[in-house]
Amino acid sequence: MTKTGTTAPRGDLRRRRGFSRLEQGYMGFFLILPWLIGFCIFKLYPFISSLCYSFTDYDLFKGAQHFVGLQNYIDAFTKSKNLKALQVTFAYAFMTVPLKLIFALFIAYILNFKIRGVGLFRTAYYVPSILGGSVAIAVLWKALFKSDGVVNTILAALGFESINFLADKSWALFIICLLRVWQFGSAMVLFLAALKGVPEDLYEAASIDGASKGRQFISITIPLISPVIFYNLVTQLVQAFQEFNGPYIITQGGPRNATTLISLIVYNSAFKDYKVGLSSAMAWVMFVITTVLTLIAFTSQKKWVYYSDDDGRG
Amino acid sequence: MKKLIACLLTVALALTAVAAMAEGTLTFSWWGGDARHEATQAAVDAFKEATGVEVTCTYSAWSGWEDKMSQYFASDSAFDVNQVNWNWLFSFTNADGSSKFYDLNEVADVIDLSQFDAGALAQCTVDGKLLAIPVSMTGRIFYWNKTTFEKAGLETPKTLADLMAAGPIFAEKLGDDCYPLALGSYDKMILMVHYLECKYGKDWVVDGKLNYTKDEIVEGFAFIQSLEDAHVIPSSETLTGDGADSLDKNPKWMEGKYAGIWEWDSSASKFEKALNEGQEFIVGDYFTDIGEYQGGFTKVSMAMCIANTAADKKLAASLIEYLLNSEEGARLMNSQRGIPLSKKANELCLAEGLLNAKVAEANSKVMAWCKNALDPQFEAAALKNSDGVYADAFEGLSYGDYSIEEAAEALIEGINEVLGA
Repeated sequence: MTKTGTTAPRGDLRRRRGFSRLEQGYMGFFLILPWLIGFCIFKLYPFISSLCYSFTDYDLFKGAQHFVGLQNYIDAFTKSKNLKALQVTFAYAFMTVPLKLIFALFIAYILNFKIRGVGLFRTAYYVPSILGGSVAIAVLWKALFKSDGVVNTILAALGFESINFLADKSWALFIICLLRVWQFGSAMVLFLAALKGVPEDLYEAASIDGASKGRQFISITIPLISPVIFYNLVTQLVQAFQEFNGPYIITQGGPRNATTLISLIVYNSAFKDYKVGLSSAMAWVMFVITTVLTLIAFTSQKKWVYYSDDDGRG
Repeated sequence: MKKLIACLLTVALALTAVAAMAEGTLTFSWWGGDARHEATQAAVDAFKEATGVEVTCTYSAWSGWEDKMSQYFASDSAFDVNQVNWNWLFSFTNADGSSKFYDLNEVADVIDLSQFDAGALAQCTVDGKLLAIPVSMTGRIFYWNKTTFEKAGLETPKTLADLMAAGPIFAEKLGDDCYPLALGSYDKMILMVHYLECKYGKDWVVDGKLNYTKDEIVEGFAFIQSLEDAHVIPSSETLTGDGADSLDKNPKWMEGKYAGIWEWDSSASKFEKALNEGQEFIVGDYFTDIGEYQGGFTKVSMAMCIANTAADKKLAASLIEYLLNSEEGARLMNSQRGIPLSKKANELCLAEGLLNAKVAEANSKVMAWCKNALDPQFEAAALKNSDGVYADAFEGLSYGDYSIEEAAEALIEGINEVLGA
């Protein structure tokens, strides 16, 4: 009895210690396990399988029947519709990102002044961002830009000729870009926070030295908020290359594929033509382009992004 | 306490799952306009009342519906009973030839197949398996806004020459934004095939091969271009600029600025309802001055199928039987999906005067006129979609990106690719 009575607590203690060591070693792992399982099932598996599919003639209903090597990638860069989509996507990204950043910074700069009702303005400017690309927005955009829409009515009242915004190959992409630029709220909020972090004394010192407002903006504001500019640049660039809702719900990629972005080709190939192989290849092309542009942005930041906690340039 | 809550939650989840799978529940999907939704929902409610079976309905407009359904079928998560388009029976096929649809011959004791025309059933039979029950047959025909034609001082066109002459008169008397006819890309394609079939009498595709030469197709494109040149139809740019998803939602149709359409006979009520008040909508006639043949095709308008994944196929079949063959089902659904093919339903609707007069008139004209057969690949997604081959060829021509010859080449190349020729 005595023997048993003395060994049992020791065994418990050892077990507890063992469990404690296990806890110390693996608790973190256990805690992230739900996320990890979700990541593997919903991100990693589709990520890897889409790469595999991109080398096959995978059909949504017939499955993968043959290994086709690089054929889907060759099609991505040789078929006129895909090539056009690549061009349109670059045009969209390079039009949208700078316009959105400039506009967001401009509005943030104005809203940084002490003006009456600034809270109301900030909310109002942020609202379009949370509306996203919905059917309601599509209806709004069409009502604004259709041939007898609000914009054309205003143009006619001012004596200008009406423009077929949605049907004109040159205008349609600009109209889609405008939707994304209009939704500048999230970038604006980040800029606003960054502007508030710029020390007032720097402006005072510059004023005493005779620097104009423009000079102060270029030499003080821009460098000090450059980390936020960089962050916004990267996130907006990635978002622009993944844009889908705007062209899908407003123009369906038309007219004459003038607003067909790569994301639409990915969707249409998979769910309209059932060619999952080609769709996967296009998705990977999009991924590689986004990665390369992000890497370029990260490499270039050494030359223009100022990190104050890193003793200069970062 | 935490364990107790966790146990309760688990039990609740399990009960929910069991309830969802419980015997006596069905899921049912369809597309259509508001009138069809209301009629079908009423018929489903009557079925619930008669049988005690719960039916969960999912329905929407056509726009985007095919993409959505292809995903459901591809992932084997389709609804138990589905309204399907005829070509889906062929395009939703597995590599081993097996279909996503259940062979309805297996439930012939539940669905009275003798009520349906053998030819129509044959169109839904693939490899000896009856994959769907055809609801109605349909074809394209002209509809006119008589009021607009009267404003232009014209009668509605009886011949192609009348139509061609109406274009300039519309422009002169009603304005440049008024046209006697409006055609989207797919409408143009069907009208061109109709025109060629009237001239040459041949089916468009025979034995999986395009049955028209390049010269003949060039002639068809020239005909469509002549309509645009003569102010008979608006250009693709004009139609796109209207910003409407479909013609029945286009304000210019509602206001009577577009005074004609070339549409399915089953769509008559949808277009008539869309018109503003005070406008008379009439069914047109086929033009006899195009050629010596009665061109054009009829096809299964839509069909009802049971997904292979349905848990209780007999129960699903009983819903189809109720909707298509029962008196109450026929009464409630009437001609919301075209003129019923089911003999029982048709007789009852005729006897009780339940058929929409315009739909019935259009359907009888279509069935009497159209003599050509349709290949199921005609409606293949790669051809028919908004970014497909038909849209590319006809919009390319209208926008001036293609000459008539180039448009014909693009069409032939695209069709041959789909046909695997």
